[in-house]
Amino acid sequence: MADPPPRAPESKKVYEPVIPKAAPGNYNSIAAQYARAKAAKEKEEREREERNVGGILTGFGLGGGDGKGRGGNGKGDGKGTFERLNEVKELRFKGEWGWVVGFWVWLLCIHAAGLYFFTKGFLLTRLVLEEKSSCTEPPISLSTQYQGAGTPEAGCWHPKTFEKAVVIIIDALRYDFTVPFKNSTDTPSQAFHNALPFLYETAEKQPGNAFLLPFIADPPTTTLQRLKGLTTGTLPTFIDAGSNFAGTAIEEDNLLMQMKDAGRRLVHLGDDTWTALFPGYFEEEISRAYDSFNVWDLHTVDNGVVEHIMPLLSPARRGEWDVMFAHFLGVDHAGHRYGPNHPAMTAKLEQMDAVLTEVVDALDDQTLLVVMGDHGMDGKGDHGGESDDEVQAALWMYSKKDVFGRTKLDYRIPPATAKERPVNQIDLVPTLALLLGLPIPFNNLGRPIEEAFAGVKGNTWENLGAVARMTAAGIKRYQAAYYVARGVDESTVDGSPKALWETAVTTLAGTGKQQNWQDGYATFLAFQEETLRICRSLWARFDVPCMILGISILAGGVLALMMYASGNSDDGDAIDDPELDRAELQLELDNFAKGNASALEDETTTRTLFRGALMGSFLGALLCPTIWVMNRSENVLDFGLAVGAISSLVGVLYQDMRRRMSFGNPLPTTIWGWLAVIFTVSQSIGFASNSYTIWEDSILLFFLGTFGVASAFSSLRLENAADRALGIYHSVAFIALGWLASFSKLCREEQMPYCRSTYYASATSSTSAPWQLLIPFVVAAVLPAIIKSFYTGSRSYEGLAPAWISWAFRFGLVLSAVFWTLDAADDGEWFPNLPSTLLKNIRVPIAQTGFALALVAGSIAFGYAPPCISISTTAAPTPGSQITNSSGALVTILGYANAHGSRYLLLVINILLCVLMVQKPMGAGAISIMAWQILTLLEILDLLSLASSPIGPIILGLLGSFHFFKTGHQATLASIQWESAFIPLHTIRYPWSPILVALNSFGAQMLAASAVPLLVLWKQKPRRKGLLRSVVTALSWHVAYYAVVSLATTMWAGHLRRHLMLYRIFSPKFMMAALVLVVVDFIGIAVALVGLRFNSLSVGEVFGWG
Amino acid sequence: MASPSPSKNTVTTKTSLPVELLPTDLARIVSQAHPALLLSAYYLRFPALVADPVSTLLNSLLPLATIQIAYAVICLPAVGSTLKPVKKAKPGSKKIPEPSTARGLTVFYALVLSIVSVPVLAAIQVLFGAPVTTHIPHTLLSSTHIALLAIFPLIYVHGSDGEKWREIASVYSPIDEVFGASVGCFLGAWLGAVPIPLDWDREWQKWPVTIVTGAYAGYMVGKLAGGWLWKGKRIEFD
Repeated sequence: MADPPPRAPESKKVYEPVIPKAAPGNYNSIAAQYARAKAAKEKEEREREERNVGGILTGFGLGGGDGKGRGGNGKGDGKGTFERLNEVKELRFKGEWGWVVGFWVWLLCIHAAGLYFFTKGFLLTRLVLEEKSSCTEPPISLSTQYQGAGTPEAGCWHPKTFEKAVVIIIDALRYDFTVPFKNSTDTPSQAFHNALPFLYETAEKQPGNAFLLPFIADPPTTTLQRLKGLTTGTLPTFIDAGSNFAGTAIEEDNLLMQMKDAGRRLVHLGDDTWTALFPGYFEEEISRAYDSFNVWDLHTVDNGVVEHIMPLLSPARRGEWDVMFAHFLGVDHAGHRYGPNHPAMTAKLEQMDAVLTEVVDALDDQTLLVVMGDHGMDGKGDHGGESDDEVQAALWMYSKKDVFGRTKLDYRIPPATAKERPVNQIDLVPTLALLLGLPIPFNNLGRPIEEAFAGVKGNTWENLGAVARMTAAGIKRYQAAYYVARGVDESTVDGSPKALWETAVTTLAGTGKQQNWQDGYATFLAFQEETLRICRSLWARFDVPCMILGISILAGGVLALMMYASGNSDDGDAIDDPELDRAELQLELDNFAKGNASALEDETTTRTLFRGALMGSFLGALLCPTIWVMNRSENVLDFGLAVGAISSLVGVLYQDMRRRMSFGNPLPTTIWGWLAVIFTVSQSIGFASNSYTIWEDSILLFFLGTFGVASAFSSLRLENAADRALGIYHSVAFIALGWLASFSKLCREEQMPYCRSTYYASATSSTSAPWQLLIPFVVAAVLPAIIKSFYTGSRSYEGLAPAWISWAFRFGLVLSAVFWTLDAADDGEWFPNLPSTLLKNIRVPIAQTGFALALVAGSIAFGYAPPCISISTTAAPTPGSQITNSSGALVTILGYANAHGSRYLLLVINILLCVLMVQKPMGAGAISIMAWQILTLLEILDLLSLASSPIGPIILGLLGSFHFFKTGHQATLASIQWESAFIPLHTIRYPWSPILVALNSFGAQMLAASAVPLLVLWKQKPRRKGLLRSVVTALSWHVAYYAVVSLATTMWAGHLRRHLMLYRIFSPKFMMAALVLVVVDFIGIAVALVGLRFNSLSVGEVFGWG
Repeated sequence: MASPSPSKNTVTTKTSLPVELLPTDLARIVSQAHPALLLSAYYLRFPALVADPVSTLLNSLLPLATIQIAYAVICLPAVGSTLKPVKKAKPGSKKIPEPSTARGLTVFYALVLSIVSVPVLAAIQVLFGAPVTTHIPHTLLSSTHIALLAIFPLIYVHGSDGEKWREIASVYSPIDEVFGASVGCFLGAWLGAVPIPLDWDREWQKWPVTIVTGAYAGYMVGKLAGGWLWKGKRIEFD
């Protein structure tokens, strides 16, 4: 946004020989030159044969070939100077284009490197080990032999206590929901108090049969992550490296796997997260899974569980299962919907109280009952973070026979608050495994819960010591395996609990004595505690220096990009006068003929900067070994990448500084510049707040509306009444279209209850409503006509445009519409008589045809299409661009005024078709509106002469971000439309499937990025100078928008890494912004720059080079 | 926002001048008292506004209209007024005070046109993201307040001259007390949207309290800045 400093325009040297002190770009000096040129031109007599359109036009452009090229140099070889100059210019363009691509690839690498380093330090990762515990191989020899050791019938590693188990999860059962509360005037009781007294009362009155303890969850406190912890005994991390990222099934050793291997039959009732995590584990006939995502529904899941649990507990059907998992969601949903302090919560807890009483009555002696919350809830009833209220759940175990004990007398009463005697949720894993006679899962880090093994009198120290020893040995075995897998020597890890293990083993040496068992128990627990602490710090530790390194690289990238953009931006539009253009060209020719070819300078600063990057990396590579020797603890590749990124950044910034004479005022000088800054910066700052992140779509609508209003105001200032009307029309259309698109919504959970999803038929479905199926058909009918209207505005609906837009493009749109109708027919089973795969078999080739049309045929058409112009030599003068032939005939070139833009738009239409193919019907409507908005934006920028202002690329960035939300997405992992991978494919195929999902997710941003060159090219005449430079500047501003957003979200995610909403809001937003930045970088190179090359070559071939 | 730069009248060839207050002591005093009165009245009604926006906005319409009419009649030159504020009125040349019927008509005319602008203002709010199916009385009433604050004095002063209104609509009118206040009012209402999404769970965040607050605050700031600081300058876009 810096004001461009004074720079020497490339044309300076061209003029030098004629007017030594010509002020570059100055209208008067060029006019003076023109006068001389005109005189020179009049000497020209020679006529030349015109071979092709290019020849005709170059001829008309200059009134014939150039006579001065004849003997000036010997390289003519029959070609006129003009052709040779054109060739030189074309070569120059190609050469410079290469440098530009080099620079942008470098920038992509810088962005990727910055994001890589930040992610490496930010996303907590843990290796998932393949090993499994086996019944016959305990991690340490048994301390006491018993009958049937090593068999699941008697107990694998420890004699089993129970035959069967019923595990009931009451989602979000916070500990204080279960303990009695004394009502007082200072602290009046809330709706959730004293509504579920059953657990506390039983634990207090029958301590041998039941105990109640606070049950502390490890954040993130989301059900899926909690269930992983509760069944594997490991600490959750954001990404469990090694697990399949897309799939959710738990692959590492876990309780259910052990149960299944031991031949236990498992039943599941309730929340369907279980079936996603443990597919194929449960007895299909008697299990019942219910959709867990409809948080507005308090009763369906619970009533379903209640309906099926009681019959299964009846003596008649007890034989059908061994372990039952029942997951109630009503309490959680009541919290999400109403918050904990609401009568609905009271009702829900009372219902749970009644259900549990019934279940207890139906139990037999051999069955263990476990009731627990998987997490708590905050004051508003939500969860996910790590606040006390969210991590403090309740655990209650019950048995008809007297089993449980307390090691101290004052432990008999359940803790009054969750701060007293809490147990970790992972402790359930060894406890349940040992009580049921199963091996403890290999990855477990938890310890046995004391109450379950202490005996009724609370003094069976031998039993406690044995289970603690066995668990500790398992942990030790896991640690050793983990260090081997990571390639780390265990003894080098600081604070290794090895010493504690040795102590524990020696304490037990004198086996048999009561005291020894008690001390041994304590030391084994100490060992477990210490190991857990170390693991927690290893896995939950953010690598802050690495994060800072990433942020610094990203910030350096933003700085380099800004300087690149401001160094290449020009002050305004060049003077639009055909006479002057002709004069200028003549001068160039004169100079060229005199042999001053070297006068053709680079358009952009790219070459210098890219050289800076190379030099910087080279120096960095030289320095590398020195620094490497100084700290050799890091990974070689990472180290090289970091040094390379930083040194090349330094090189670029150094080159840029050296090039500029002074720093101009870095602040914008126009309201448009200010708007661009305000939009970008305020949004970036807003991402530090969860509210602004959640409501990003509304904020973008607000900004887009603001731009529309500003452009309407500005249009009113236009002198020409027709321009004024057009400007207002397009501004109003721009605002109204954005508003129309805003009706397409897919709400994220946090937007409830202020948002209503409209993207699908209902908030709980992911299929389109019947009326939405009409949208693609309407798009097919209307969108080509709209695009056509923008072509006809500049009389550019010529050449390939009519065939491609009205037929090919429309055909593709119809294919997409038919596809979604067939898809809906399949989903809705409209034709039950058809074979089940028939519709799929029909619609997949349809989608493939659409893609072939857009990508293969489209690319070929774009690559070889001549400009969208039509040339006629009519006698009658028509409006449009006219050039008088030197022979006197009148030549009309329709579409001359938009030769660059109208042709490049064909490429954008291909991308548009690609994006539309993977959008659901509502998304297709949104993307079509976006295409229309882009076209109105082009007209607005042209009318207001803002083609060189940063506002255009920034608004395009806002449009891309806005329509990301309007195509049914949110900055959450849950909103990814995975099924889009199957639109043109039957199965997952790499690399196509991820590309399709990316095209579906970031289609709007991709369309916006590929339209960036249009901002410059729209309504640009052929032979316009400095187009590459202007496009590169526009692309820089556009990418700068995403780069600033990405930098900001990265910084906020790093800064707020301990924030409650990290996993729900900041981290997904950071990941999304990072992906978008890389995608936009890539599209900028692969579509915008490549497209510009083809476009410029094609236009240059016809009209000659500017 | 870019600070208004001195006039470089590139678009409108006709030079328009900033509006001057009527050259009476009463006008000067009322013009000073006017923002203070509005501000204190707003401050007093704020709790009621938060508690029940619709009825508070509705009930305060009449007092607001009264204040605005009084301000306009006492301080501002009505449209078509022959009074040249720059030159001193020559004694006996014309009646200095306008006939009260003419002024009454102007007030009536301005009020009617202001009411006509309400749906337009409401539509703009909706286009910026205001709820469209619910809260319609809220949006309409907030638009009425903005119309009375920002539109009414402009019409009272400038009438319905097309050229002048084009200048006003393109934000190119020379800044004066009236125009500055109107621009400030709209900017304030625009900024008023900023706190709405925050999850502070405050009562005052509800629609349209922040918009109306921003409009009133912006009106005061704009009036002061327009009357003193940037008087006679124009807002340039480029």
